[in-house]
Amino acid sequence: MQPFLKVDQVTKRFHKVVANDRVSFDVMPGEIHCLLGENGAGKSTIAECIYGFYKPDEGTITVQGNPAGLTSPRDAIARGIGMVHQHFVLVSSMTVLENIVIGTDAARPILDLKAAAARIREIGRRYDVDIDLEARIWQLPVGQQQWVEILKALFQGARLLIMDEPTAVLTPQEARRLFQIFREMTADGLSVILISHKFDDVMQSDRVTVLRRAKVIGTVNTRETTKEALTNMMVGRSVELRVKRDEHPRGAPVLEVRDLRAANDFGTEKLSGIDLTVHRGEIVGIAGVAGNGQGELFEALIGARKTRGGSIRLDGADITGRSPAEIQRMGMGYIPDDRFADGLVGDYDIQSNLILGHHRREPFARRGLLQFRAIRDFARKAIEELEIKAPSETTRTRSLSGGNAQKVIVAREFAQATKVILANQPSRGLDVGVIEYMHERLLEKRRNDFGILLASEELDELLGLADRIVVIFKGRILGEFAAGTADIERIGLLMAGQETAGKAEEIS
Amino acid sequence: MGLRLEPRLAPSARWQAVSVAVALLAALAVSALLLESAGTDVGVAFAAILDGAFGGLRTTAKTLAKATPMILTGLAITVAFRAKVWNIGAEGQLFAGAMASYWLYTLTGPALGMALLPLLFAAGFVGGGLYGGLAGWLRSAFRVNEVLTTVMLNYVILYLLSFLLVGPWRDQSSFYQQSERIDRAAWLPDLWAPGKLHLGFLVAILAAVAIHVVMNRSWFGYEVKAVGLNARAARFKGINVERTAVAVMVLSGGLAGLAGMIQVFGVNHRLESDISLGFGFTGIIIAVLAMLRPGWVVFVAILFGGFENGGIKMQVATGAPSAIVSAIEAITLLFFLTAAALTRFRIVWRST
Repeated sequence: MQPFLKVDQVTKRFHKVVANDRVSFDVMPGEIHCLLGENGAGKSTIAECIYGFYKPDEGTITVQGNPAGLTSPRDAIARGIGMVHQHFVLVSSMTVLENIVIGTDAARPILDLKAAAARIREIGRRYDVDIDLEARIWQLPVGQQQWVEILKALFQGARLLIMDEPTAVLTPQEARRLFQIFREMTADGLSVILISHKFDDVMQSDRVTVLRRAKVIGTVNTRETTKEALTNMMVGRSVELRVKRDEHPRGAPVLEVRDLRAANDFGTEKLSGIDLTVHRGEIVGIAGVAGNGQGELFEALIGARKTRGGSIRLDGADITGRSPAEIQRMGMGYIPDDRFADGLVGDYDIQSNLILGHHRREPFARRGLLQFRAIRDFARKAIEELEIKAPSETTRTRSLSGGNAQKVIVAREFAQATKVILANQPSRGLDVGVIEYMHERLLEKRRNDFGILLASEELDELLGLADRIVVIFKGRILGEFAAGTADIERIGLLMAGQETAGKAEEIS
Repeated sequence: MGLRLEPRLAPSARWQAVSVAVALLAALAVSALLLESAGTDVGVAFAAILDGAFGGLRTTAKTLAKATPMILTGLAITVAFRAKVWNIGAEGQLFAGAMASYWLYTLTGPALGMALLPLLFAAGFVGGGLYGGLAGWLRSAFRVNEVLTTVMLNYVILYLLSFLLVGPWRDQSSFYQQSERIDRAAWLPDLWAPGKLHLGFLVAILAAVAIHVVMNRSWFGYEVKAVGLNARAARFKGINVERTAVAVMVLSGGLAGLAGMIQVFGVNHRLESDISLGFGFTGIIIAVLAMLRPGWVVFVAILFGGFENGGIKMQVATGAPSAIVSAIEAITLLFFLTAAALTRFRIVWRST
């Protein structure tokens, strides 16, 4: 059988950086083909080449035996290649139908929405996707917005669908539903390129092509391989996938949140009465789909977001309504989810970012003046200790990789915090090695009797690290599980808001 | 298909130098065209500008005196823009400082002599600082856009000045809207009388040094820049963004106020609307051209001072309207801004 897509010796450079180095693989009709690799391994670059967004410097991309010569996504779509990006490109105030038809050939000056709708319904029936075409995008859950993107690609005649990290925003149940849809599609001869680093996704593909440092390490049949073997290929060494969480007695409550209420910047209530306790020497995990109030919760806890009700106590002291400066002085540290937007001053160098928050204090400042020698010494020590890869302490943090940027934040927060560490998605977008390191450091802080509140979209991470897991949904805590009794199924249902799911074995 | 701007990964120092040089040459070329089109001999005009600006000790000293208020307003803008607080009201703050110091003078009279000077400087700073702080407070407390308030406060203070100069502070012996002449005892002392260079220049230089230290060596400057670069991260790490904005506006307004005081007691020797030739606005151009660096502000302001004096000389020598000099300044600014943008971005032609 002829492959639908053949990528042959494709090289793509950005200035001096080689993003793809003679990458070759092919995708058969009816295949789910996974591209696996760490951040920066070149997965997205090769995908954007196939989608016509980048032009390869060398090599060829062949579609159904013909050199594609793609110069734009329009070309790719014309040749039956569709792509669903991680961040959806939908107009939230418009209907599903309008979003699907927009920008396609059906969008002639006079729209024939009726005919388009009929065709879309037909596609939907075929792949068992049931969606209200008249619903507005903002009314739909994230999982269904993704269907809209998929329908749009199919409507445009896609025979190959590139899915970039499709399950990142889904509950386990939604992810399972998505793979069902993929299977319906592949049964019909369509192909899927799946970009992912989640092994739950990877293991459901037919073949896996592993990329490391811009090169293809190999393509293997999924059935004939294991997580461990794939990790080995991906990282180039064997990695302990499960962190070792030794028994550690928990102490007194150090962070107590009672009936906390807060709104987002637009005044919409995002926290509707959060109750939460973190003890010394304990990691409490927050599971939940992004956007269910995690960001608002953390901002409220560090004093950067006004609360509308409820209370927060840090080591017994009421910190409700206190300023971020006061709360940090009392021992709270925060690792935000968006490193560059919330955690770092990108145009400041590493040393300046490392003192942020302690910049008025001895030894970094004396009589109002910054003490650059002390600052430099501190920075050099941190860079060495955390193995931050940077030319020097005066390197701008903007130019750091995600992992090294995260290490700068971790170094700072761990040096400043004395009682509680808040971590929102601390391993998002990081390489396995850095994630491993993060986990070790968090566990070390747990041993040192810190209370740790950890939010993550990766359930495996929570199951591995947390002593207790709570599920957040629409600004409420829906259930609580002790480490041993946690069950992915029930957590997943709670993440989708099905309140009854966790009740049976909920502990208090 | 179309032109797109893509950020450069790492703007190189060499590229920056090249682009500045190219900008300068291009500005000269376009200015030459402008002069040519006005029927002026370009060579004579440029020579006259240069001669009028820095041709000899005395003219240079005059240029430095001209530059003095612009150094201070340039610094005022530098401080504010570093925090991304868009103070367009240095002009008004300059007048507020001038009026505050003149008010103090009307209370004390010249009797104190030299002992009065520090008080007058303080009054100028406080007057401008309070007026700037008002806009800062409106921004921080009520989220009122400071661009609007500072621009409008420019008008408010000018009308207030106008009212005072036809009312209580009016010079009864004069037809013009101006105050009485200030007693010689309260004038800023000359540094070098033949060049009309007064103490104000030294104060401006000291202010530049002080602002340099504050911005680059103190935790306050560290906070100001952090707020300007990433207010969210700064807030999350305990920096009070609102308070910083107010402090920045007080400092910015204070510097502009000093310029006003210096003009009244060092140059015009009376309070009148002519004490500023738009220095508050020129300060914006100077600060931006100096890429918000205090040391460069001094340099650029002196160039602008030279332009002012050189322009007059050129007008005398060639008969070309002095407005051309303003046009040349604007052309230079445009080219430099383009150069600055090109050091951070590159133009890419791409088909989509």
